[in-house]
Amino acid sequence: MTAVSRDEQRSNASLVSPPSEVQEPMDWVSALAGEGPQQAVALRELHALMIRAAAHQVWRMRPALPDPSPAAVDVIVNQAADEAMTALLGKLHTFEGRSRFTTWAFKFAILQAATEVRRLQWQHREVELRDFDMPNAPAHEHPELYAEGNDLAAAVAAAMRQVLTPYQRRIAIALLVDGVPIDVLADRLGTNRGALYKTLHDVRVRLRAELTANGYLPVPRGSSPRRASSDSTSRVSPTPTAGTP
Amino acid sequence: MSTTPRPDPGPLTSRNVSALLRDTTPWLSCDECFERMDTYAEALVRDPRHQDEAMAAHLRGCAACDEEARSLIQLLETP
Repeated sequence: MTAVSRDEQRSNASLVSPPSEVQEPMDWVSALAGEGPQQAVALRELHALMIRAAAHQVWRMRPALPDPSPAAVDVIVNQAADEAMTALLGKLHTFEGRSRFTTWAFKFAILQAATEVRRLQWQHREVELRDFDMPNAPAHEHPELYAEGNDLAAAVAAAMRQVLTPYQRRIAIALLVDGVPIDVLADRLGTNRGALYKTLHDVRVRLRAELTANGYLPVPRGSSPRRASSDSTSRVSPTPTAGTP
Repeated sequence: MSTTPRPDPGPLTSRNVSALLRDTTPWLSCDECFERMDTYAEALVRDPRHQDEAMAAHLRGCAACDEEARSLIQLLETP
C-alpha cells in the first residue's frame, strides 16, 4: 500500500472525525501500556494513525521535496511514522486526555514528517549566516531606501545594527530574510527549534522597542516608549536560559 | 555551514520588515506550542472563533509551528 492510498483511505471515521463528546473507541493508554494481544492491536492501529498523519503532512509539503515521486514519498512517510511512534510511546505517560488521543497522536507524526521534509529540502543546500557587513553605515550610504520612500526598512536595518548582537542579526537574517527553515538552521547549528525561536522572539522585542522609541511604531496601550535595554527580553520571556549564547 | 560574512544582504523588503517586526507577545515557546497544539486544533475545529492569544502570537511568529498547526486542523476537518 502506498502513502497515497493510505492518505486517501478513510478507514475508521471514528478515529479521525472532528472532536466531539463521543467517547474514544478504546482506552489507548491502557492498551498501549499493557501486554498481550490487546497491546499488539493498539500498536498496529496507532501505527496506521501515524501513517495517515505523516502522509497528510508530506503530501502538503510535497512540492518542496527534491524527489516528489510517490515511491519517495512513501519512504518518507513510513520513516516519519516510525520515528513519531517511538517519540509518542516515550511520552505516553504525559497524555492527560485534554484532547482526543488520536488528535494528540497526529501531532507527533505531523511534526516528524514536516521536519523530515524540510531537512530533505535543504540537505544539499549550504546555509550561510550572513551579517550586515557595514555595521555603522550612515543612512546616506543607502539613498535608494529613502528615495523609494522605504523609510521603515532603513530604520529597521539601522535598529538591527544598533540593538542586536551579531548572533541575533545572523539568526534573524537566516530565518526571516533568507528563509532557512528553523529546523534546518537548528540542525546545522547543533541547537533546537525552541532556542532559535527564543532568539527570534528577543530580536523582535528589541526591534519593536527601538522602532517604537524612534516613533516608527505606535506606543502600545498601557506602556511608555523606551529604548531597548539589555534586560528588556527577560521581562517578556520567562525562559531566559533558552536564549542566545 | 558557512559563517563567513557575505556582502550586505541589501535593502530589506517589506515582507522582511513585516516578519522582523511581528509582535510575538505574549511569549510562548515552541515546546509549549506543541503541548497545546492538539487542544488548540480541536477547539478551532469546534468553534472557528476560538481564541488563544498566546498560541496565535506564537503561530504568527513561527512558520514551522504554524504549518504544523494548520496541517493538524486540516486533518481533523478531513471527512
